[in-house]
Amino acid sequence: MSDDVVLSLDDLVIGYDKPLVEPISLTVKEGEIIAILGPSGIGKTTLVRTIAGLVRPLAGNFNLNLEKRGGLGYIPQRLGLVRHATVAHNVSIGARAGIRFSKSMFSERKERTYDAIRALGIEDKTTEPVRRLSGGQQRRVATARTLAQRPKLMLADEFLGELDQNNVDIVLGVVNQLVEKGTAVIMVEHHEDNARSFATRIWEINDSSFSDLSLEEWEAQQKGGEEE
Amino acid sequence: MKYRLFGILAVLFFLAWQTLDGMVEGDWGRLEGGLANLSIFFKESMWPPNWSVLEARSYPVCEQDIEFFCSVGYLGMMETLKIAFVSTILGFIGAICLSSLAARNLMPLYISLPVRIFLSGVRSLPSLIWAILFVIVIGFGPLSGVLAMTFYTVGYLGKLQYEVFEGMPSEPLEAGRAMGLSKPSIVANIVIPENGNHLLSQLMFMFEYNVRHGTVIGIVGAGGIGYYISTYLKFLQYDKVFALLLLIFVVVVIIDLLSLMVRSFVNEEGDVRKPTWLNTLLKAKRSKASLVESE
Repeated sequence: MSDDVVLSLDDLVIGYDKPLVEPISLTVKEGEIIAILGPSGIGKTTLVRTIAGLVRPLAGNFNLNLEKRGGLGYIPQRLGLVRHATVAHNVSIGARAGIRFSKSMFSERKERTYDAIRALGIEDKTTEPVRRLSGGQQRRVATARTLAQRPKLMLADEFLGELDQNNVDIVLGVVNQLVEKGTAVIMVEHHEDNARSFATRIWEINDSSFSDLSLEEWEAQQKGGEEE
Repeated sequence: MKYRLFGILAVLFFLAWQTLDGMVEGDWGRLEGGLANLSIFFKESMWPPNWSVLEARSYPVCEQDIEFFCSVGYLGMMETLKIAFVSTILGFIGAICLSSLAARNLMPLYISLPVRIFLSGVRSLPSLIWAILFVIVIGFGPLSGVLAMTFYTVGYLGKLQYEVFEGMPSEPLEAGRAMGLSKPSIVANIVIPENGNHLLSQLMFMFEYNVRHGTVIGIVGAGGIGYYISTYLKFLQYDKVFALLLLIFVVVVIIDLLSLMVRSFVNEEGDVRKPTWLNTLLKAKRSKASLVESE
């Protein structure tokens, strides 16, 4: 893990009309994998959407230390795929965002697109419209889009939910490839077991309180709670 | 709920009836014998259709092997189709550019509002008025027709398109924005592919609409089959007018079937069964048969 900070939150207050969580201050470094845990409707998605620049914070600041174009990858809850377009087109959107304007951009875009499709094992679906794919396959397409983009920060909202173990393994394998190249990952997660298997850090939101814990601290806290 | 709906419909019908009665000032006598008049007019002036409109014109001399290609019907219809084709394509491209500026989920209010007002302005003039304006500005002929229909297409399709864009799911747009894609890139790679079916459907509808309206604008001298209809009307040759109207009807039906065929290749129904000409024409029967097959 490098020491380069990709995201810093400075007394950030999230919410639409009223604050959902206490002010948050923290930093995220390259290569970190963070799981956001907490009950439904508590503000996990709002936090991710705020970092993605889709919701204005009520107060405070956040600073993204990455390129405006292609630096941030975002997979919304319903994946945000272009349903009527092919798998290749959807993946190429990620590649398009991640590649600078240059002479070789077309060949590079093509290469990244097909590399990502191969990495997710969906080569046989390349020319299929996304609407024809199963939920698990669609999640693989969304992952391939982010892989082709190669962002420095990846945000994913309840990304592993509804996936069978095989698909979870494939998708997490690819996420790990990104992390090895220095991408920081922030995932909203409902299943604590999933969080335990991939995260290095846990953000827990409960009754508008926010805690930022390392995986070990969080596990110790869980054990302590169970013993009590 | 059902009775309330009937009640509302009954009240609306009564209001419409009262308004109509007010407009004709209670004088319904003029409808008396109307059907009989129509019947006499149809039998004596229009029937049978005069198919000489599909034969070669006497002047200029026909140099084609097949006479039909020198006929008023063919030449007029081809000009109308060409005007409709060019104006639909130009109008569609113009509308795509403007509608993506007018959609509230793609652009801020200070851009979308003026564009919407412009589109409303363009749309508020019917294609016939546009045609009259262009005939005044650049004279008689198909170019006036093309420009008139292009302007109308931009106004009409622009509105249909921005409404479709505004109705699309927000997640793909949000993903694109978060990735840092530029607005033109979002429109080209997310908005247009996601709404491709609707856009194609609107394109085909507009072509059919422009073919039908191409006949009207010809009457004011903007080219196409309408020019010949207008000429025959002036000389009271209603049987020839009727033959040309039947020709327009056949062409419009063919375009409609083509449009159905093209759209069924891209909609979700097409995923289940790739359409053939037979199941485009006999849709209901085929789908019943496929249900039996699947059972």
